Amino acid sequence: MRDPEAATIEVPRPADFDEFWAESVAACTALPLRPSFEYAPGLSTDTVAVYDVRYTSYQGVRVAAWYTTPRDGPAPYPGLVTIPGYISEPDVPRRWSELGYAALAVAPRGKLRSNAVFDPGYPGLLTHNIVDHHTYGYRGFYLDVVRAVDVLAGRSEVDTSRIGLQGSSQGGGLGITTAALRPEAIACVSAGAPYLCGIMAATRLTRSYPYEEITEYLRVHPDHAPLVAETVSYYDGINFAPKVRAPVMIYLGLEDDVCPPETGFAVHRALPGEHPLHTYPRCAHHAGLPRVMTVVEEFLAEHLAPEVGA
Amino acid sequence: MSFDDYWDAVDDELARLPARPVLEPVPSRTTEDYTSYDVWLTSAGPYRIFGNLSVPTGPGPFPALLETPRYGSVNQVSHHNEKLRYVVFAVTHRGQRNADTPFAAAYPGLFTHGIESPESYVYRGIVADCLRGAEFLLARPDTDRAGVVGDDLALITAARRTGFTALRVAEPLFYRVSDRPPEELADHLRAHPSAQVWETLSYFDPVRHAPGVGATTLLATDDGSWYEPLADALPDAEIYPLTHEDAADNDGLDAWLAGRLGVEPMSRFVR
Repeated sequence: MRDPEAATIEVPRPADFDEFWAESVAACTALPLRPSFEYAPGLSTDTVAVYDVRYTSYQGVRVAAWYTTPRDGPAPYPGLVTIPGYISEPDVPRRWSELGYAALAVAPRGKLRSNAVFDPGYPGLLTHNIVDHHTYGYRGFYLDVVRAVDVLAGRSEVDTSRIGLQGSSQGGGLGITTAALRPEAIACVSAGAPYLCGIMAATRLTRSYPYEEITEYLRVHPDHAPLVAETVSYYDGINFAPKVRAPVMIYLGLEDDVCPPETGFAVHRALPGEHPLHTYPRCAHHAGLPRVMTVVEEFLAEHLAPEVGA
Repeated sequence: MSFDDYWDAVDDELARLPARPVLEPVPSRTTEDYTSYDVWLTSAGPYRIFGNLSVPTGPGPFPALLETPRYGSVNQVSHHNEKLRYVVFAVTHRGQRNADTPFAAAYPGLFTHGIESPESYVYRGIVADCLRGAEFLLARPDTDRAGVVGDDLALITAARRTGFTALRVAEPLFYRVSDRPPEELADHLRAHPSAQVWETLSYFDPVRHAPGVGATTLLATDDGSWYEPLADALPDAEIYPLTHEDAADNDGLDAWLAGRLGVEPMSRFVR
């Protein structure tokens, strides 16, 4: 019988991990963001204004996002970047603006609205160039979320001292990596069932996708196993976690077949300091949804202080 | 056009178009227990659609399982557990990834694409894609009984194609949409208020399709009273009360289908 909380998940940390990501962020931020905001009347409502956003990210790729703001109420608003799951397209985050946030739902490269020049497909993203951490498909994808924070921070109606990250699965994993790469900018993170944590261990703990993509890749390229392990160690949330300064709320399904709970406990342990952890027995990758959303909203409100119903 | 005429025309169009299946083995998804294929088929339009097929190792026959597409740009490849037990075909509808040439669906946007008339509504073709997938699967000589799972695309497929023993439905998209319009529809109606929308959607109302379902049906919901009209319209249905403890729900739903199709239940969480 598995005991996820007691499991040991070890991820080797490359000696040049910090340098690699410092160089990556620097290469990205050297490019002007050139954000554009086009009002979307068909998606806007009486209470929320919606904008179709584009900005420049790593290697010059233009990345899309939806940006929503409350119609009324006192600006500046707290900002919230919402990060999509592996197979999902970002929702227009109107609901968050109804709660008082200026919200940016990012579509990192490869998502439908950002796939003009990079489209590894689904399945495909997880193993795209997985033998080389320099060209791994997730490099730009991770940085697209970092730059989304910069886009939000550049808005005059956003209080830059109150920017949070929210997501589940891939959105949870990238909440942790982004908070590590922009520790000065992030006030809190809500991370559900975080993906991309304990990556190689996860492939041994589950037969579910997306991790099954790595299992399939190694079935036809077994000799690449050392290279794959090396590459993903640069992208593993457990290696990013020690750099996070913001409070992170993690919630886990204790029978999650997609992102094994062992990996969620491990990334929680790797965070410095105390961070709230909510676990849900008999739950899988929904990790307590829908009822956990109340907990998520309360956590974000505690740290970001939106004026609800503004 | 009457409801029956509308759907008969879809069937007639499919009958006129040979599916011309192409199967390409996928070594990375093939094990000693099963063989996997990428599949392309011609559907109504004509339009070339995609799917993932997996066939268990052995002489068969095996139970068959059709996984109809989710609402979203990506369909997951069938899970290992399904590949072990079923000849499983996960059909991808036009507009989704791997079936997105020449039509790439937008999200948000797909739900209301062409909704101005029943003939132009994108879901006419999407239902045809599911029916084509059912025909492809049910025609395989290595299958005996068959099940179909998904949202109301699964229900409509089971209503319009004989050969399914079991139907498992959750979260139907077109059910009582005038009572609780999905966000995409509400956005559309705000900009384009039109009674024609309701006329179009009426062709897809699962309650109207339900009497044609010959399969034993499991309707998974956390709100049995909301779904009472649908359950009543299905000839042989029971409700699975979702708890939102999704590991337990997944196991319960798996066990129901496994029981109907004569295989052992399996949990996706390896204990």
